Amino acid sequence: MKFPPITRRATLGLLAGGAASLVAPARFASAQTNSAVNFQLSWLPSVQFGGSYLAEEIGVWAEKGLDVSLLSGGPNAPVEPSVMAGTSLLGITAADYASAAVAEGATFKIIAVAMQKNPFAIASLPGNPVNSPADLVGKKIGMAVANTPILAALCALNDVDINEIEIVPTQYDPAPLVSGQVDCLLCWLTDLPIAMTMAGVDNVTMLLADHGYAVHSQTYIVTEDALANQRDEIVALMAGEIAGWNAYFADTEAAADLVVAKFPDLGLDLETQKVQAAKQVDLMVSPLTEEFGFGWFTDETVADNIATLGLLGREVSADLWDRSILEEIYG
Amino acid sequence: MIRQQVLLTEQMRTYAGFASLLIAWELLARFAFGQLYILSPPTAIVMRIIEDLPLYTRALGATVSEALLGFVLGNLAAIVLAVLVVTIPPIERLAQAIALVVFCLPLVATGPILRVIYGPGWGPQITLAALSVYYTTFVPLVVGLRAVPPSWLDLIASYGRGRLTAMTVVRARACLPYLIASLKIAAPAAFLGAIVGEFTGADRGIGVLSIQAMRSLDVDGTWALATIASAVAIIGYALVGWAGQLLSIGAPPSLLVSPASKAPKVLWKKLFMAVAAPILSCVVILLLWQVFMDGLELSRFFAKRPGDVWAYLVAGSQAAAHRSELFAALRETMGTTVLGYLAGLGLGAVLAAVFCMLPAVEKIASPVAIALRSIPIVATAPLLVLVLGRGQLGMLGIVAIMIFFPTLVSCLHGLRQTPGQVIDYFDSYQAPPLTQLFLARVPAMLPSLFAAARMAVPMAVLAATVAEWLATGTGIGNLMALTSSTSNYNMLWSCVTILTLVSVAGYALVAMLERRVLSHFAPEQVI
Repeated sequence: MKFPPITRRATLGLLAGGAASLVAPARFASAQTNSAVNFQLSWLPSVQFGGSYLAEEIGVWAEKGLDVSLLSGGPNAPVEPSVMAGTSLLGITAADYASAAVAEGATFKIIAVAMQKNPFAIASLPGNPVNSPADLVGKKIGMAVANTPILAALCALNDVDINEIEIVPTQYDPAPLVSGQVDCLLCWLTDLPIAMTMAGVDNVTMLLADHGYAVHSQTYIVTEDALANQRDEIVALMAGEIAGWNAYFADTEAAADLVVAKFPDLGLDLETQKVQAAKQVDLMVSPLTEEFGFGWFTDETVADNIATLGLLGREVSADLWDRSILEEIYG
Repeated sequence: MIRQQVLLTEQMRTYAGFASLLIAWELLARFAFGQLYILSPPTAIVMRIIEDLPLYTRALGATVSEALLGFVLGNLAAIVLAVLVVTIPPIERLAQAIALVVFCLPLVATGPILRVIYGPGWGPQITLAALSVYYTTFVPLVVGLRAVPPSWLDLIASYGRGRLTAMTVVRARACLPYLIASLKIAAPAAFLGAIVGEFTGADRGIGVLSIQAMRSLDVDGTWALATIASAVAIIGYALVGWAGQLLSIGAPPSLLVSPASKAPKVLWKKLFMAVAAPILSCVVILLLWQVFMDGLELSRFFAKRPGDVWAYLVAGSQAAAHRSELFAALRETMGTTVLGYLAGLGLGAVLAAVFCMLPAVEKIASPVAIALRSIPIVATAPLLVLVLGRGQLGMLGIVAIMIFFPTLVSCLHGLRQTPGQVIDYFDSYQAPPLTQLFLARVPAMLPSLFAAARMAVPMAVLAATVAEWLATGTGIGNLMALTSSTSNYNMLWSCVTILTLVSVAGYALVAMLERRVLSHFAPEQVI
């Protein structure tokens, strides 16, 4: 590998660039006065947020007078502090995280639901498959220990004794399954299983949502304060988001193309992104959204969520959900 | 001619050592770990690096810039602080305490706060890079600034000059070898800090690519990135070493100090040092904590104040339950941490001795040692876990690896600081190498070993919590990971507080031991 020579000019430029990036926060703090808003995503850029990138690309937000910055997440970038601190107007998280934050004093409202079906799945290999919750008995499951309540809820919903499953703490990585350290993995349907398929490893998936696990995922949260005082901006932001996702559903391959081109420094694989983009649609589109539109939820789906969240040990009130923004948009 | 031949064969032996390591790796990856998706063979790694060179170069540009800025800022802060401490000794306790506490803060707690403070951009990456270097520079530098023969200071004083002259004329030069040794450790650490900083939400960089590669079962990509990260760390280490060679053309001054008989301290002074000083440090740190968070108007939702932690652990109605949960997790963590700490220190000191006796081994082994330290722990953890198991042994291995490298560098440097006259003396009696090692070099190494042992306390605690979070899923590391995903920031900050107290206590224990030993072997270090 060849490195550029270290010159005084280059070093000074580097230092100046770094200094500029250090003072950058001031720019965002002062930007609150005009219509620049931050939108905190829950993970690194990928087609998972394809609709949001499309919304930015087709300029719906700019038309509505909004200057939206999409902030990437990461393994150590929880969404809730960013929204609660007012750094971001809107954030993406799941109903279980949002309700946990509310129990700790956050004042969040879920204003829309991108994933109608929870993306958590159990992935296994065809030689030793997990096709139903009963198959879990006697198996070793690799998962982040933080996700134990999810497995416990699935077991409670399907009369499986969780003590008969051996939990092995793993990182979010398919290697332990492929190398035989575990029999199955708790993961998202839309990433590790696709990664295995693309790497030529056949696998079997069982979606938790198909076995009673009803927890809204990729939900949009705002604070009560923002809902009262920045309502117009939230409506414009969500309207653009909806337009973006509708464009996404119309052509998922184009969304994958866009994301790969937009983030050349992430090393995203175009084929993987295309498969993920298509598979994700099943989680986001339901009879409910066909009838009422992207992001919709009803008292019934909220009640199902409250029941499952109860199994996760969370007492949640239906007040956590607020459909008024969607009603205003779809009006 | 004969000399050249000897050099040539030595070089060939080094190359042969490297080549056999690479071949063993290739065979291991291809056959032993073939279908496990854990280890890539070197040939596949090289192919991948060539294939994705433009991508990796751009990512490297971002991460290296972050690391470089953090390296400069962190080390500058360390130098300023060390000079202050040595010039104005009364502030030492407080400065040491604050420096230690800041170094102990776990990433799971500070990451989100840094991201909220800085917003998008490089802020958190640079800050974490700076935070991961300042402490390992500060501690040895204080040692170095004091590694001065008292007679020299007496000379300065007899000319009627003060502390400033002593600093610029005597101490600044005496500390250079120590500074270079700590900057060598800082180079890989800054890079690792920048990578970890990218985990708080970034769009480019080596850290971002590593996460992507691991999640997509891209083993070659993961190892290509780990290889690049190690190469950068080794280059950084070598560059600092080279700069050090250019600078210190003259050998560092040798120290031959006889144990001075010190006037016994006055009782009230002793009492003050033992009781009042720690209390004062605690009060100042708690005040800083409160003022920092209030000053930046950080949301109480996640930025808990001392009062919140007090209520959660002591005053609140559920406090007993919270305490028992926390201390159960802490007990689980501490056993393995202490063992890993001792293993890492021992390994570092023993390897330093081996390197000192057999320079040929050093040539082959030191790149491996640097690589082990600089590969992001997220990449090596799965391999370590596979080899050592997911249990306590795996965690012990991770802790030991994280602290053995700084210990090795520090001890090597200490062994080489042995005064030339002492070595000449042993040589003139034809003392065997082992006698020389134990009677001359090891005593000279003690200040460096203890400096490393002190620094290693917080590092061991941090490594243990990371290992628990990523691999074993037990103990306080796991508890902290759990709490941040459930927004239980009260528990998170309680864990941070208790862990910091544990680190400080461990540090104090080592420091006490150090005073006992060094007042015999290196009295100039004891104030």
